Amino acid sequence: MKLNVGGLIVYFPYDYIYPEQYAYMCELKKALDAKGHCLLEMPSGTGKTTTLLSLVVAYMLENPHDVRKLIYCSRTVPEIEKVMEELKKLLLYYEKQDGEYPHLVGLVLSSRKNLCIHPEVSTEREGKIVDGKCHSLTASYIRERHNYDDTTPICQYYEGFSLDGKESTMPYGVYSIDDLKQYGRDRNWCPYFLSRFVINHANIVVYSYHYLLDPKIAEVVSKELTKESVVIFDEAHNIDNVCIDSMSVKVNKRIIDRATENINLLERTVAEMREDDHKKLQDEYQRLVEGLRDASVARETDVILSNPVLPDAILTEAVPGNIRNAEHFISFLKRFIEYLKTRLRVQHVVQESPAGFLKDIQTKVCIERKPLRFCAERLASLLRTLEISDLTDFSPVILITHLATLVATYTKGFTIIVEPFDDKTPTVSNPILHVSCLDSSIAIKPVFDRFQTVVITSGTLSPMDMYPKILNFHPVIMSSFTMTLARPCLLPMIVSKGNDQVAISSKYETREDNAVIRNYGQLLVEVAANVPDGIVCFFTSYLYLESVVASWYDQGVIDSLQRYKLLFIETQDSAETSFALMYYIKACESGRGAVLLSVARGKVSEGVDFDHHLGRAVLMFGIPYVYTQSRILKARLDYLRDQFQIKENDFLTFDAMRHAAQCVGRAIRGKTDYGIMIFADKRFSRSDKRSKLPKWIQEHLKDSLTNLSTEEAVQIAKRWLRQMAQPFTREDQLGVSLLTLEQLQSLEASKIQEQAQQN
Amino acid sequence: MVDEEEQKEYRWETGYEKTWEAIKEDDDGFLEASVADIIQRAKRKRQAQKQGNSKLGMMRHLYVILDCSDSMSSQDLKPTRLLCTVKIMENFIEEFFDQNPISQMGIIIMHNKRAEKISDLAGNARKHIKAINNLKQTSLIGEPSLQNSLEMALRALKLLPSHASREILVVMGSLTTCDPGDINTTILNLKSEGVRCSVIGLAAEVHVCRRLANETGGLYNVILDDCHFKDLLYQQVDPPPAALTLESNLIKMGFPHQMSVEGTEEPLTMCMCHVDSTDEGSKLNTGGYYCPQCYSKYCELPVECRACGLTLVSAPHLARSYHHLFPAANYDEITYENQTLICFACQKNFSETDKQVYRCPNCTKIFCINCDIFVHDILHTCPGCATNLSTFQIAHNTTQ
Repeated sequence: MKLNVGGLIVYFPYDYIYPEQYAYMCELKKALDAKGHCLLEMPSGTGKTTTLLSLVVAYMLENPHDVRKLIYCSRTVPEIEKVMEELKKLLLYYEKQDGEYPHLVGLVLSSRKNLCIHPEVSTEREGKIVDGKCHSLTASYIRERHNYDDTTPICQYYEGFSLDGKESTMPYGVYSIDDLKQYGRDRNWCPYFLSRFVINHANIVVYSYHYLLDPKIAEVVSKELTKESVVIFDEAHNIDNVCIDSMSVKVNKRIIDRATENINLLERTVAEMREDDHKKLQDEYQRLVEGLRDASVARETDVILSNPVLPDAILTEAVPGNIRNAEHFISFLKRFIEYLKTRLRVQHVVQESPAGFLKDIQTKVCIERKPLRFCAERLASLLRTLEISDLTDFSPVILITHLATLVATYTKGFTIIVEPFDDKTPTVSNPILHVSCLDSSIAIKPVFDRFQTVVITSGTLSPMDMYPKILNFHPVIMSSFTMTLARPCLLPMIVSKGNDQVAISSKYETREDNAVIRNYGQLLVEVAANVPDGIVCFFTSYLYLESVVASWYDQGVIDSLQRYKLLFIETQDSAETSFALMYYIKACESGRGAVLLSVARGKVSEGVDFDHHLGRAVLMFGIPYVYTQSRILKARLDYLRDQFQIKENDFLTFDAMRHAAQCVGRAIRGKTDYGIMIFADKRFSRSDKRSKLPKWIQEHLKDSLTNLSTEEAVQIAKRWLRQMAQPFTREDQLGVSLLTLEQLQSLEASKIQEQAQQN
Repeated sequence: MVDEEEQKEYRWETGYEKTWEAIKEDDDGFLEASVADIIQRAKRKRQAQKQGNSKLGMMRHLYVILDCSDSMSSQDLKPTRLLCTVKIMENFIEEFFDQNPISQMGIIIMHNKRAEKISDLAGNARKHIKAINNLKQTSLIGEPSLQNSLEMALRALKLLPSHASREILVVMGSLTTCDPGDINTTILNLKSEGVRCSVIGLAAEVHVCRRLANETGGLYNVILDDCHFKDLLYQQVDPPPAALTLESNLIKMGFPHQMSVEGTEEPLTMCMCHVDSTDEGSKLNTGGYYCPQCYSKYCELPVECRACGLTLVSAPHLARSYHHLFPAANYDEITYENQTLICFACQKNFSETDKQVYRCPNCTKIFCINCDIFVHDILHTCPGCATNLSTFQIAHNTTQ
């Protein structure tokens, strides 16, 4: 249908629209008009993707000079594929309505692993190996060598692409991963490099967060994207952690050892080369004198594991003299690694600032800050010169140089922590050196600065005022939308006490209490007896999960549980977990019913959807606070307090509640779905916790549901389940939570907006 | 009086109830109202779907699969799920044979992961009611196995002739099924054999039941309370539209007659129905129905002749199935704008609360919602049309 959103005609490829989708479009339009950033929360399953796409595409067609490009960032490959599906549908709808396909190119960019069509390379399973193999076929010196030596293998697809791929433009259309592969096969072009090339002029680009946030990759891939772009981060509730992870480095003994081996190998290679091909090294030296700018434009294929974010100064400056010579650089690295080794030889925890760390290096091994900054770039150059094609083996030493560059580049927002042992096993010596980024705004700052509109959206962004603070930006629009529902399809409940009136809570003092554990067990058994099919439980940590399950075993809870449902447990081993998940699904499908015990912040809580029968109830045992004794966290909290005036407690609660919301949100994936959400902890009923839940959950969490005993909760659940099982069709939704064009028009736009948006 | 005392348990023994929540508020009680609304609409829709002149599976062969597992001892239906089910089931069986006189029924129970046939396919209500009543004493243990019982029912239904409509009705209190193999293959088998499986859940929606019903073209419903349970069960009384695989055959039937020769006393004979039953020995008596083919005597109809296999029915039986083919016309839903003051059938005064009223398309009389449902569920003829000769004929001419 064609909608009129604030004067803009939007084509919406469905016959019906949810009221909140319309409200969402209105808000998004305002943000685009204002050319500012925005933060939008809308529950999962209400068609965020298609709403976003249809509005932005309409805007792009209407105002081609204001918005030239849409960059859609998602987390996983299946999610990316879903976006492409929606986009295809939308553009086909345009064609059907207007009789002409819109003049847009939309495509996906993914890793080589997903895009490679080379018969041998594409059979590899692991991303790094594919990258390495690809590199060994397409690097500039390999291709040069092929020119005079035919036996050197090269990739025919890359050759095909570089021969005539760059002159032609792609026809209008939407290219998903499979389409790109097919397109590449038809023309004998490499889909990966094709899409890397095309994203610079494509109108719609869909790729993973990392291509924009991870400075190592963003530098290579996303540098040339135009300023008049709309950037969308979908499922962005964890965006600050992604930012931080992309800027942090962790080094342990094993990495150091392997890096030392790398360096020895490098040394030998350099020595050999010194004898055979003296000139090459000399050339490199010259190049470095002239500055890195030339080196960095060498060939796009060479820079597959490029430097961390480099201030522009570095690229224009010449590499300092003391690391220009290959031998000198190697001995420089050796010294640095020796230094790291001594730092790891500690008995107690050390925490220091980058400045202190640099000073210490200076006094101990006489390394200055400036050469350290060039470390990463210098190593990349050396590897190129030595014509080492398989970079995967060199990842440890590359990591070390990244560390050096990071430490030397940033003095603020980072900390260095050396821990001699793991907290869980204080007797086993396992020293780790963390260079940890504390400020999530560092990585995302270039994105906010460069692009005119950045949209951060997810199903769970509450409390929203935290994100502008920790990401350090100023949104023009900040809205939370609820789900308009024809029936109350979610039932959040806070269970605060067991049948024996003992308060249940996972707080530190009571978590090992037998009465609490027994009551948790009782709750689960009761729920399992009355809720059909799948139930998912989230614990606060693996440690707690294990101890609770052990006590349940002794108390006989496990036995009574297994009378109703089968039991599956998530472990830290991902293969084991996916096995458990597979059988969990099978048990739900076959009617036996199953309970999955998993951990908040684990793999299950983030990536897996439990729609319909796979998750009729979600139980949250305790509040999933992050492990507060971790020194990295403490450092980050200190930093947040000093820099952004965020109280520790506020941040911890914010973090815990967004994870809790994320966990329970797994159960509802659409308007026809229904699910129970049980928060089993007394502390959830406090208003500081409750008010931080997303609006769409809070709305259904009435006061009468916030302080229940096990028995009361089960009674309510039982009745509610019966009501939800009544047949429910589209006609029932129509007019309430589903609108046709006429209904939409007849309801005044403002009225709908008022209803759906409560911010 | 005494009976009533026994039926009731003490208040404190019942489940946890919040009676004050039964009071519906309009602002906050949005939940109750909307769900009730949806049910009401579903009822109407069911009514609307009923088409005259469609082919119905009249010779029904229905296996009722009854859950007798641990979960049936739950007290959310009073006094327990099982006793409540037994009671409603008794009425259902009577009603079923009343409305579908040429059909047969069998009963399977599932408990302790096993299936057990407590009464074979037969057309006699009394035997089934007795079997069902015996269930009151069975011990409710273990989990049910849906697969085992479906397989058992399927084995019996497979052998039926192609013109028979094969059906299974599962009443399931448990939320889990403990099966020896993959239930999906069983569901596919049922589908390929054209067995229509309906499920009534007593607790909540179970995915596998939903799929069973959807795949085989049956209905899946979950009860809200005992009244709703009754409603849903009685929904099964109406014969379903014939499956596509069902062949149309001419069926040979016998219309037995009482042998009474003027002036002579009937000889004392034994009837075939009781000739080898153990608990209720066969008695010599005079009256009875005689098979027109082989002259075996039966004391009840309808029945399948044990000697020659002929289906024996009486003419009124067949006539009773007739109304399924000529249902009363569906009423149109119209908004109430003071068209008339009272409901034509029950004489109820319409008030502000009646937003919708219902009008018969033939006689244009106005009815209330309750009468609408009563007319179409039970009466099967429109009082407005029936009291007016001209419209009565119109109605019958259009449907024929």
